Amino acid sequence: MTPIDVDGTRRASALAVGVEAPPRPRGLDPRAAIVLIVATSVVIMQVDGVRWMPAALVLVIALTMWEGAWRRLVSELVTVAVLAAFAFWLPVVWQHPVSATLGVGAAYMLRFVLVAAVAAHLVATTTPTRMSAALRAWHVPRPVAVMLGVMLRFFPVVANEARAVLDAMRLRGLVGARGVTRHPLRAVERFVVPMIAASLRGSEDLSAAAILRGLGSHRVPVPLVPPRFGAGDLLVLLLVVALVTATLLLKGL
Amino acid sequence: MSDTAPAPATAAPTPPKRSLRFSPRDIINVAIFAVIYFIVVFAVAMLGVISPFVMIVTLPLTPIVAGIPYMLFLTRVRHAGMVALMGVALAALDLVIGHPWQSALIIIVLSLIGEAIMAAGKYRSTWAAIWTYTVFSAWFIGPWVPFLLDPAGYIASYGLEAYGEEYAQSFRELVTVPTILLMVLSTVVCGFLGGLLGSRLLSKHFRKAGLA
Repeated sequence: MTPIDVDGTRRASALAVGVEAPPRPRGLDPRAAIVLIVATSVVIMQVDGVRWMPAALVLVIALTMWEGAWRRLVSELVTVAVLAAFAFWLPVVWQHPVSATLGVGAAYMLRFVLVAAVAAHLVATTTPTRMSAALRAWHVPRPVAVMLGVMLRFFPVVANEARAVLDAMRLRGLVGARGVTRHPLRAVERFVVPMIAASLRGSEDLSAAAILRGLGSHRVPVPLVPPRFGAGDLLVLLLVVALVTATLLLKGL
Repeated sequence: MSDTAPAPATAAPTPPKRSLRFSPRDIINVAIFAVIYFIVVFAVAMLGVISPFVMIVTLPLTPIVAGIPYMLFLTRVRHAGMVALMGVALAALDLVIGHPWQSALIIIVLSLIGEAIMAAGKYRSTWAAIWTYTVFSAWFIGPWVPFLLDPAGYIASYGLEAYGEEYAQSFRELVTVPTILLMVLSTVVCGFLGGLLGSRLLSKHFRKAGLA
């Protein structure tokens, strides 16, 4: 196809001017990560999704180790261990409707946690530009591609504002179980309204910056690091094939 | 912006732009409100961590509170496609936090319905916005979908039968079609209240600050 060739020449001319291509970032190609998230969700949310859980856990551990996010790895392992204990161990040692209810709840939560842990890899390793470039390569409609990239950029902004508002509330002694139970709506209004106002103010600056950098332009931007299926993606693909085969074979036993 | 000129008081309000062309500002608006919406939902859920009793209060509170950012977003919708784009954004976030894929589909479908309601209100009507949010808030059923599709199968997959046929039976009686309908209904009612609250807070806080 011609667009790719055009991309190539434009990239080559950019490199000729002396713009250095940044190194290929760590982590899966965003497109591979998206496919993986959806695939994990589909198998885990099945009725017999429980037997896919070990495979998903191995995948999560592999991705997080590749990324080198050791603290996240620990928190993921602890969360999964606690939920798995509630789901599969507690009902065995304590046979009671309460433990059975806790078990069903924990097993259900465990599904969400495993899928979210796969998704955490995408969120942690993907920059907004990388995300938009990957989605453009998929020919996703432009507004959607740009929007998903922008969202990645806004998340830390809004999270910061939320934290700041919560801190301010804590300083004034407005955070507490009593306040929330007595006036839930008022407590929430005090949190949400300033948070939205502050975030919107921050968004004005960000959108001005984004438009300056060509967000509204109708030319197709060329990524300096083109999204490609790399060696890491291949290794993860092989791991996934192995895990799927193992899970399917184990069912036959 | 071509449609900022105020319409004559006697004439009908300015017709919405028919085009699906998004300005950069539209896209950024959708992105930021999607993020705010999700953080609000998350923060309220986190309030519930304080104590189990608070959790009982915060569960129905979530669709009500999330109405504040969503209603503010709807005041910035000026043409077709933005509500649907918001649906795509929220569906993506929904998938990322680990909700089932069916839940993401539900969000998109409800957003398309919301789009139709907003279009019927010519993207200017407050009541259309309230109803749009009411319909949209039915997505809170999303995380339960795989369970509700086959509750018996799910419970069987945990081997609960081993812990008493009686218990498994009572669980099966509890999770039935009427219960599902009740859950959908309660989130929708809370969504309606959230729409009302959102539009009230708009005039109380945001319009004064020039943000609505």
